[in-house]
Amino acid sequence: MTGKLTEAVAAAQAGDEEAFRFLYRSLQPALLRYLTTLVGGDAEDVASEAWLQISRDLPSFAGGEFRAWAVTIARNRAMDHLRRLRRRPVVPVPVQALNDLAADADTADRAGEAIGTASALALIRTLPPAEAEAVMLRAVVGLDAETAGRVLGRRAGAVRTAAHRGLRRLAAMLERAGEGAPDNAGATVPHGAGEALLPRPRTDRPAPHAPEAEPAEG
Amino acid sequence: MNSPGPADRAESDRRLDAARAAPPPGDADPLARLLAAAAAPTGGNEMDGEEQALAAFRAARAAPTARAPRPRRRLRIAAALSGLAATAVAGVAFAAVRLDRSPAPVIPPTSTTAGTGPGGAGPSRPAPSGPAGEASGASPSPTSPTSPAPVTPPPGGRPAPPPPDGDLAGQCRAYLAKSERQRAKALTTPGFAGLVAAAGGADRVESYCRATDPTSAVPKPKPKPKPKPKKSSDGGDDG
Repeated sequence: MTGKLTEAVAAAQAGDEEAFRFLYRSLQPALLRYLTTLVGGDAEDVASEAWLQISRDLPSFAGGEFRAWAVTIARNRAMDHLRRLRRRPVVPVPVQALNDLAADADTADRAGEAIGTASALALIRTLPPAEAEAVMLRAVVGLDAETAGRVLGRRAGAVRTAAHRGLRRLAAMLERAGEGAPDNAGATVPHGAGEALLPRPRTDRPAPHAPEAEPAEG
Repeated sequence: MNSPGPADRAESDRRLDAARAAPPPGDADPLARLLAAAAAPTGGNEMDGEEQALAAFRAARAAPTARAPRPRRRLRIAAALSGLAATAVAGVAFAAVRLDRSPAPVIPPTSTTAGTGPGGAGPSRPAPSGPAGEASGASPSPTSPTSPAPVTPPPGGRPAPPPPDGDLAGQCRAYLAKSERQRAKALTTPGFAGLVAAAGGADRVESYCRATDPTSAVPKPKPKPKPKPKKSSDGGDDG
């Protein structure tokens, strides 16, 4: 996969349109999902901007991990977008998503893949930004901690810690939703999961205060 | 207390790596299902922008003058460049922004030239951390009326695009007449595709149009890489 990607990058740099199409198809789902956890419903717009810049700057890509390069562009567009908004949109607790994911495996299967993905992203989006980004870059984009760290401007260890905290927070949310009856899951979870579900503070920075909001560590 | 979730970072690493592997077994725990769902094969309309992306690719290829190869060292020094780029593009605006750092109610212009410069593509451009980052949003502040001059050259040394012809000028007017929110949307429509291509990208349309519109010209930044880029090592949040 990575080898094919590298080949496609070289071909696209030489002007091969089908190679660029391959790059798009290989990257767009992960890119779009990552952006969804950053900017929600505006992800498609931001992804378009990112692809514009990727196609324009492709000749200057000098090798290395292409996915990291592309995802860095996408992230910069997302940060510009959030700056333009001058606020971070309030992220509501996706009660339905929570119930879908916490439900039996059978139910989840029946819900279908697309819905499952949307629910998962909605839930990840409620994490503190640093944790959400770490989880997405690792699990969905498929970068290792070191490469993800380069994208985020952080050390690999910080990425691993953030991703770990994010997973624990998600697991706690899911467990609480699974324990309660589906109807009151939405009512219990926001309190149970603590700050994780409060609207995120308005900040454009990778939240350096994330550790304070860690209810599950211990 | 029996707290849920992976016990340590190593287990988290395994789970994160497993997300993109085979679909989880039926009895997988909710977290495994969540991660698998997040990383599931594409579905729905995620690829809807494919033709648009290809059009952008074609447009970029059709403008070979903008395709001057850059030194290979570029990526390695990208972190430094990102600061320089923001500063260079911002020029005059840099000082203005410093004075204006308190959250003003003014919505910044859409143009984000600094973010799209060579530094913007760097692998480690951190989230905005200081004046350089802020400046990118404010670079086209209309402080000095410039005559219909060529577009401000981006820091990468790319040649400025030619001024719009009559058709593009009309698109520019239509674009500039739109609200902030509408603009981004509008640029994704076919009606503005020509303008986007001429400007060299959606994020350049504003500066492109403003540079050709005497009533809302952009200040011409002088690319003087004087202020050292702020070395941003936020160090992360771990202990």
